[in-house]
Amino acid sequence: MALTDIVLQQLVNGLVLGSFYALVALGYTMVFGVVKLLNFAHGEVYMVGGFAGFIVLSLVSGTLGSGWSGVAVSMVLAMIGVGFLGVLIQKIAYQPMLSAPRLSILITALAVSLVLQNAVLGLTGGRYVPFGADLGFGGVNLGNLFISYNQFILVGTAGVLMLSLELFISRTQYGRAMRAVSIDKDMCRLMGIDVNRVIAVTFFLGSGLAAAAGTMAGAYYGSLWYFMGFLIGLKAFTAAVIGGIGSIPGAMLGGLILGLLESFGTQIPGIGSAWKDVFSFSILILVLVFKPTGLLGRSEQERM
Amino acid sequence: MTHLLQKVAAGLLLAGSLSGPAMAQDGMTIGLLVPTSGSEATYGQDMANAAELAVEEINAAGGILGQQVSTIVGDDACDPQQSVNAASKLASSGVVGVVGGYCSGATLPTLKIFADANIPFVITAANSTQLIPANSGNAFMINSTGNDQVAKALEFFNSKNINTLAIVDQGDAYSQDLANLTKQRWEESGKTVATTETVNKGEQDYSAVVTAIRSANPDAVFWTAYYADGGLLIRQLRQAGYQGLIAVGDGSNSPELFNIAGSAAEGVIAFSNPTAEFLPNAKSFVDSYTAKFGNAPGPYAPLTYDGTKLLAAAIEEAGSTDAAAIVEALKKANFTDGLAGDISFTEENTLARSNFIVLEGKGGAWALAE
Repeated sequence: MALTDIVLQQLVNGLVLGSFYALVALGYTMVFGVVKLLNFAHGEVYMVGGFAGFIVLSLVSGTLGSGWSGVAVSMVLAMIGVGFLGVLIQKIAYQPMLSAPRLSILITALAVSLVLQNAVLGLTGGRYVPFGADLGFGGVNLGNLFISYNQFILVGTAGVLMLSLELFISRTQYGRAMRAVSIDKDMCRLMGIDVNRVIAVTFFLGSGLAAAAGTMAGAYYGSLWYFMGFLIGLKAFTAAVIGGIGSIPGAMLGGLILGLLESFGTQIPGIGSAWKDVFSFSILILVLVFKPTGLLGRSEQERM
Repeated sequence: MTHLLQKVAAGLLLAGSLSGPAMAQDGMTIGLLVPTSGSEATYGQDMANAAELAVEEINAAGGILGQQVSTIVGDDACDPQQSVNAASKLASSGVVGVVGGYCSGATLPTLKIFADANIPFVITAANSTQLIPANSGNAFMINSTGNDQVAKALEFFNSKNINTLAIVDQGDAYSQDLANLTKQRWEESGKTVATTETVNKGEQDYSAVVTAIRSANPDAVFWTAYYADGGLLIRQLRQAGYQGLIAVGDGSNSPELFNIAGSAAEGVIAFSNPTAEFLPNAKSFVDSYTAKFGNAPGPYAPLTYDGTKLLAAAIEEAGSTDAAAIVEALKKANFTDGLAGDISFTEENTLARSNFIVLEGKGGAWALAE
């Protein structure tokens, strides 16, 4: 492969990977914006989303087939189901802790992560579950450059989801309420905004986006595992921090940047695949040193 | 109270040490050092069963030197401390020899105990290269070591006219050792390593590494780590249009690989220890094992069966239960009745040939490669 082919191919790889990171990072950043909680169970929500999509797909594949139409329906239903799971987690585990010290709720989030992980471990026996989607291998060949149709669909879907979220937040009443709650919760209460409802909507949306990413990952990579949420949870958190945690465009940008950094880091001579994470995390450190609020974050340090 | 307990314990110990030699007089006892409790218990039980089956057949054919043979199990629990206790128990019960050794870490400290007690030890599964220098001459390893896997892999690649190789590991000690050793030997033989890559365990997306491999365009890709991430890598390599040979090390020869990689695992090559289902000579062994124990023999059953038969043959050859004579007979062994192939030893008492077999993915399962 010529150098330009390699660069373009890694660009495509980075965009696909970055779309997953961005979708999961959005959940981190929205929840942090509204309740100032680093929801470390979010990676597991992504994993549960994958399994939810798998269950729906195995129910609908008889009538809709296991191609993209079946996967699309599974994704939407998994988003709704896991969205409600997110609300349930928030009501049971986080709501009682909202006025407790920050550390308590952080530990609760870790506990939720363990509960979800071990529940799925118990149900699956730790085995890999084939997702069962049949998406085909087709794609576009441009010389040595290969882009599969699945990659187009995946990046496109992620783009549509992110655009809808952006519209929801900037144009709807709930979106405005979310932004208001993230600035001053007590003032919102005084203004008659149902803060708990806004928090529930935030968890619903964040978990739904993670479920979309989980279902797409299951369909695209072909299998599910109870531990698959751990690493992507960490990476998405990193992406959220790079973009500026609490900032929604920041999470999207951070996800794409991290995906591209990892893809190109693998190919840079002298760095190579063994060091690509060192490369990405060095960039994270540089961002934090020179711009602690992240690339698109606002400086309101007194609230953290 | 303490004194009473100590006396009772001393009495029991005395009774135990007396009954050992007494048992040895009306027959011969072979010790089995296997984990029958703990995390590896299923493998240990499996090995004990295989040895028992071998002893049963030996007794039916008239025993060893005209004497009937019995077995005694020392449970090492795959734990270095418990294995020392188990080995001491076996050494003090007057066994003529010991067969077994599953976990390398638990087998290592027992080597000195059996050497001091002057007991021949046939190691049937443990295969760390660390065991070789710790052996004072009475232990014999009948499972191939990691070095042999590399030898087998190189032999296979050469037979397929592979000239350039991409080696991918997972950054852990096991897969990196295998990768480094393969790279070293491959380059020593004058061939080219196109690229070496490392992936993170648990990452789902290997597209960047796949692109790096495609741009290096090797004849073959050798994955040295485990099936979980290997399955994803294989799938993504094939999806991206890589058409060369893909081979995986013994950490990946699980049927689960087919769950993860799907149809992309067709034609993938795996190097594996000799498991019963792929051994042409093991058919009747599998049948009688399954009939007796109600389940199919596990991965190290054939080797343990072979090890027990080998020890019996060596005692027969030595003509007595004298340890030095048995060790001498084992050193010169040329055992051809093995399920997993012939056994003879190097200067270092390791298996003289590689017993790794080559498997190929066919129809969603492993089959013996041509």
